[in-house]
Order: sequence, then C-alpha cells, then structure tokens
Amino acid sequence: MTRFLITRILSAVPVLLVVSLVTFLLIWLVPGDISAELGGTDATPEELEAIRRRLGLDRPLWERALAWYGDLFRGDLGYSYLLQRPVLDAVLERLPVTLSLAGLALVLATVMGLMLGILAAVRHNTLADQGAMVTALIGLSIPDFWFGIVLIILFGVWLGWLPTGGFVALTDDPLGWARSMTLPAMTLALTQMGVIARMTRSSMLDVLGQDYVRTARAKGMPRGTVVFRHALRNAMVPIVTVVGVLTGILLSGAVVIETVFSLPGVGRLIVGAIQRRDFPIIQGGLLVTACVFVFVNIIVDMLYGWFDPRVRDGR
Amino acid sequence: MIPSLGLRTPLRLVAAVATALLACTLPGAVSGQQRGGTVVVAQAANPPTLDGMATAAEAARNITMHIYETLYAYSETIAPIPQLAEGVAISDDGLSYVFTLRQGVRFHNGKEMTARDVRASIERYRRVGATKSLLAPVESVEVTGDHEVTLRLSARTPMFLEAFASPRAPVVIIPEEDAAAEVGRISMVGTGPYRLVEYVPDSHVRLARFEDYAEDTRYAGSDGFGGRKAPHFDEVVFRIMPDPGAQVAALEAGEVHVLERIGVPSGRRLAGSDAIVVHENMPWAFTVLIFNTAAGPGANRDFREAVQAALNMEEIMAIVGEGLFDLNHRWQYRGSTYDPGEVGRDRYNRSDLARTAELLARAGYAGEEVILVTDTASQQNIRTAVVAEQQLRAAGINVVIRQFDQPTVLELRRRPEGWHLTTGQMGAAPYFGPVDTLATMTGAQPLFLAPDPQIDALFRELANGPTVEARQETFRRAQAYLYESFPIIKIGDWGKMEATRSNVRGYVPFRIPRMYNVWFEQ
Repeated sequence: MTRFLITRILSAVPVLLVVSLVTFLLIWLVPGDISAELGGTDATPEELEAIRRRLGLDRPLWERALAWYGDLFRGDLGYSYLLQRPVLDAVLERLPVTLSLAGLALVLATVMGLMLGILAAVRHNTLADQGAMVTALIGLSIPDFWFGIVLIILFGVWLGWLPTGGFVALTDDPLGWARSMTLPAMTLALTQMGVIARMTRSSMLDVLGQDYVRTARAKGMPRGTVVFRHALRNAMVPIVTVVGVLTGILLSGAVVIETVFSLPGVGRLIVGAIQRRDFPIIQGGLLVTACVFVFVNIIVDMLYGWFDPRVRDGR
Repeated sequence: MIPSLGLRTPLRLVAAVATALLACTLPGAVSGQQRGGTVVVAQAANPPTLDGMATAAEAARNITMHIYETLYAYSETIAPIPQLAEGVAISDDGLSYVFTLRQGVRFHNGKEMTARDVRASIERYRRVGATKSLLAPVESVEVTGDHEVTLRLSARTPMFLEAFASPRAPVVIIPEEDAAAEVGRISMVGTGPYRLVEYVPDSHVRLARFEDYAEDTRYAGSDGFGGRKAPHFDEVVFRIMPDPGAQVAALEAGEVHVLERIGVPSGRRLAGSDAIVVHENMPWAFTVLIFNTAAGPGANRDFREAVQAALNMEEIMAIVGEGLFDLNHRWQYRGSTYDPGEVGRDRYNRSDLARTAELLARAGYAGEEVILVTDTASQQNIRTAVVAEQQLRAAGINVVIRQFDQPTVLELRRRPEGWHLTTGQMGAAPYFGPVDTLATMTGAQPLFLAPDPQIDALFRELANGPTVEARQETFRRAQAYLYESFPIIKIGDWGKMEATRSNVRGYVPFRIPRMYNVWFEQ
C-alpha cells in the first residue's frame, strides 16, 4: 500500500507542473492587465507603461515563467497586485470556506445519492424506482444559482430559520458555521446527487444479479445484510470513481454558490482576480486548487484498494 | 475665507437657537437620533483598495468617505464647502491658496491633524492620486503655520477649488507617517466619523464609530460630502454581496439594513412593504455610445451623425433604466448649475431612417461590419448594446456586438483597430460638473481615441473661465459642438433605486450611502 501511495504522489508532480504551465500560458495570452485598475482613471499611457514595468509585465514570457517557477520551487506563490499580500496567505485564508462547502456538499450528495440509487435498484421497475430517478433527474436539471435563491427565500426570508448568506468560521462559532453552510451545501449537493444516484442504481443492479448475491439470499441472510454488506461494497468501485470526479466539479461549481451566498471562498477570489487580471492570484489559486483535486484523487485511489483488495495487492 | 464672527454671548445664544432651528430644515438634520447598533449595508463589488486617494472606484468611495475627509468637500449643490479647513484665502492673482485648518481634529490613531499632515497628503496625492491631474496646477505646497498650508499654482486656475474638493478620487488627509507609502500600503487612518476595523475581501468591511471624531459644528447636518457628520451607529458593516437576488432576500430577512442599489422591478415590488422604504436616486448616470474616431467608419463625421439620426433613445433608455429614466439630451444633469439647456435638442432622439440613409450615402458607407464592443461589468452597457444593435441594423448599419470582460475592453479601446463603437455609462463625471465631463474627451487619448483640438480648446477655456456665467457659456458651446461633431452620443439619463429597512431613520439617498446622521429607530 505504501508503495502504491508513493507511486500516486510521484505521478501527481508532472500533473501539477502541466497544470501550472497551462495556467501560466493561458492567463498571459488573455488581453488586458491590471495597470488600468492600479493607475486610476487619469493615468496616461506613459504611466500605465511605468506600472507594467514595475510589475514586470513588460518582460518576455520565458523570463516571467522562469521567475515564477523559481519562486514556486522556493515555496513562494508571489504577491497579489490588488490585495497587497502574499498569494499563499490569501488562498489559504479562503480555502476553509471552499473546502467546507465542497466537503459538506460531497457528504450530502453522496448520502442522498446512495440512498436514492439503492432504493431504485432494490425496487427495480417499481414506482419507487421511477420516483427516485425522477428526483435524481430534477437534481441534475435545476440550475444551482436558481435553486440557491429559492432556498434563500424559503429558509432565510419566509421561515427565517437560516441566514441568507455570509460565512462564519468553524473555529469562531461551530453552530453559526453549520447554519451558514447548510443552504449553500444543500444547493451544491442537489445538482451532484443525481449523478451518484444514477451510478449507484446502475452499479447495484449489476451486482444484485450476481450469483453470490443470489446464494446469500438463498442461505436466508437478512435482506439488509445482503444489500449493504455484500452488494453495496462490491458496487462501490465505480461509485467512488464518480465521487472522485464530482469533487473537482464541486470545487469549480462552488464559485457560483459562493457568489449567490456571498461566501469569501477561493472560487470568488480566483474569478475576481481573473476579472481584474491579478495574475499572481490566478496562478497561485489555480495551482492550490489543482493540488486539492490531485490529493482527493489520491484518496479515491486509496479507497479503491479498500473496497477491492485486488487493487491494493496489485493483482 | 470663513471669518471669525467674534459674537458676544447673547448674540451667540440667538445664533445657537437659529442654528438649531435651521438644523430641522436641512438634509440629514433631525431630532431624536439614537446611538447604537450595527448597520449592515450591502454592495455588489469589493473596493479595489481602501487607500482613499488611490482609487476612483464607486465601490471604494462608498466606504472611504466614512473613513477619510478632505480640506474642502462638495456640498449637496456641488459647490466646494470647507470640511477640515476653516477656510481659504485666495490671492488676487489667483496663484496662492492659503488654507487655514480646523484645530482639534484628530486622526483615528489619536494624533492631532496639523499642516505637516496636510502637506504630506497633498504631496502623496500628486504622486499616487487616482485623479492626480486635478492637482497639476500646483507648483508647491508649503507649511506656513501649525494649522496653515499654502498652495502656489503655476497658472491662474479659476476652478481649482472645485477640482481640489472633488470626491471622485478625493484628496484625503492622512497622517504624515503614511505619506511615503505606496498605493494600498498605508495604515488606513483618517479623520472621518468611522474608523476601519477590518476588511475581508469578498466578505465585508467593518467600520467602528470614531469616539474622538470632531464634528464640524459650523453645519447643522450633512451637506453633500461635507457638513456635520454625527456617527450614531456603533458599527457600520459593508457586506460584499455580488448576487442581486441574495441582496434583496437579505434585506427582506432583516440581515441587511441598506441596499445601496436595488433593481427597479424589485424596488417597485418592495415599495408597498411596511418593513422596507424604497428611495429613488435620479439621475444617477448618463448612457453614452462612443465612437472610435481614429479609424474605421467612425472617423467619418457623416457616419457618426447617421448613427445619431437612427437611434430611438426612448426605446434604449426604457430597457437600460428599467423604466426609471429621463430623456435628457444635455451633457449635464437637468437643472444643475451648468445645465446647457436646449442646445442640440433638435438632433436628439430622432429615429429618422430617411436622414440616416442620406448620411450613410454621403459617408460612402457600403455595409462594412461595424464592431460594437461592450463589457460584462455593467448590465446597462449590455442592454444599450443589444437595443442599439437592433435599431442600427434596421437602419442599414451592419452592427455586430463583441462582448468581453472589462480589462479586455479597456485594453481594446486603447487601440485604433478591433472596434468601432462602444458603450459607456458616465455617473460621477457629469455629477462633478462640466470640467470632469469634458476631461474624459480631451488629451492625448480621449474616450473616442482621436484627439479633437476644438474640444481641447473648449476644455481649456472652460477650466479657465473666470466666472460661473462665462463657464456656462463655454459649456453651451461645447454641447453645441458635440451635437455637430458626434464623437460621442448621449442616449439619456437613468436613475437607481436604493432601499432601507424602515427602522433606519435619517437616510437621504446621495452619491454614496451616507451612514452618518442616520440611526436606528428603537
């Protein structure tokens, strides 16, 4: 297992290098820079040029790339033009918000998706199956920004049970954190729940038709034990794959939810930086996000081994 | 200069009573104010910085004008009035401005403001101020007393005090210790009624009442950006909420007390609510279409007039302003000091297709593609582009819209190729007067790219006009020229709606959401 883990971590290094290189090239190809924002409305072309020189925006691409990678290997992600602080500090400050949101949404989506998928599979071709799949389809079809506003109006305005937006840090007030995260996480979870439900249903149907499941039933084993201990565990490998992919989608989908619920997360930080061409934040933010994504995928690979010993043993 | 009256005691008493009575008649001056509470104001955008002099962004001004103050400020009627200054003595030749400072004014760090702080602030503004060209006539800044600063100008500049008082990117007074700091690296300490507690980008800016704030007792209440500012709230929190739907929901839920901008349909829906008061802030901005006069069809004057002749301003403004608009052809707000009147009215809002065809033929236009560039930063820009495109295509002009984000558009608009027409909104410039309005159309790179010597000459004449009447006359001629040359087309004025919870008292809509002289009704 240790060897498997080391191999996966080492294989992540080139992935991150490629991500950083592509990010670097893409943002420097986009027209416009931050000089107009920093120079103010009165800035002359000469003053804008002076700002570009000061920030090194006039240097050749290869020179900027070398400087950036040089800093990166020293653990320095650069300094934000607008926030006037190190990029790493700015990103790490926002990361708990985005990870809270994506993590809670992932748990909710997985639990609800699994329940719906299992229900649909064990009640195959019944009204319950159709009901579960229609629910999953609705989740997939509803735009998250619209659903977010509906939840805000229902639980924030009409019922007054939950705040309409904003973030409370877990360390400051655990209950406040839970209240501030409930609606955003529900919104984000709804859209992904359908994918997990459909995959669970399909995978469970395959497994439930296997001989060993029939044998377990014939032995008189309780139905719950057959479904959850024998069938579900063997159906989990494709489901875990989907959950791993969804983690990336949740991280990127968090941008919309962060906007609707006024959450100061990494997504809004990066989008704001793109809109203003705060290049160090874009580069650093995307690299940290990619690291999180790679880390989650390593965990998913480890889970494969847990669910399927053949993977762990290299068979 | 405001003279020292030297009144005797009985007379002072009468003056105090008269002042108190007057207080009841001025905006923001009311009785029964209650201290305490945290007011939450929602706004969509982050301030790019809270370094007050380094930005002209509205999102920053909304907040920084609570933290910092200027020597002179704009009044409700857009006239310069003293704020941190007792007054100013201007020499007969107009080259020397001696500012006497109010005494006993403290910064948020406890230090008393002196002439050295003022000199350092003005010097820093000349280096990093977002509209530093306003101080271009200043030759030197000298400390001529503990509470006296003298500015010497290189040339007589009749509108210097107006420029010096402009809140667009205000010449705020900061402690001398911050003077060497680069943009955004100052301690964010000012003399205003609220002090900065924290700024968490994308979340909020928290201000707290400055307990040692020196209220300007010469005034009865708020007067524009100046006047007497009583900070009644313990804290003011500006929440950064980009989603308009979420802003309205937060207002309805009572989590937010002031929306500095609410969509007109939402405002109209909430107008009947007992819990919410909706305010109209009209006019708020101009909508304009700007030509690239350096290249392409926009370089031809007849083509530009053809576009002007084709447009139906009422249709555009109905969409842009969501019903809250004014078909105002003037290059100043209607009824303001420099309102140029009916000049050019006959060329506005014509929607005359026959005339358009005639002008297009005269311009030699043969159906070439006309690129209309707009940005995603403003709904008004997108709406203007969409309606104008339909109208111009119906008039035989082959317009195509190219929509980009704002930095791309700003970059594109500096070059003569790649665009022919673009959308724009001018809010602050016309509010600050004719000099600010024309300033956007002058210099080496005006809005429409190709410098226009005639506009440059009118701008110089305007800035040096010795009297208000002379400047009014110059601006009338400037407006007449704009309706003859058409480098930029005025579409109309639109207003914005604001909303407050009904327990917020004393709130008067203005160019910023003023949180002084405002309080919660218990």
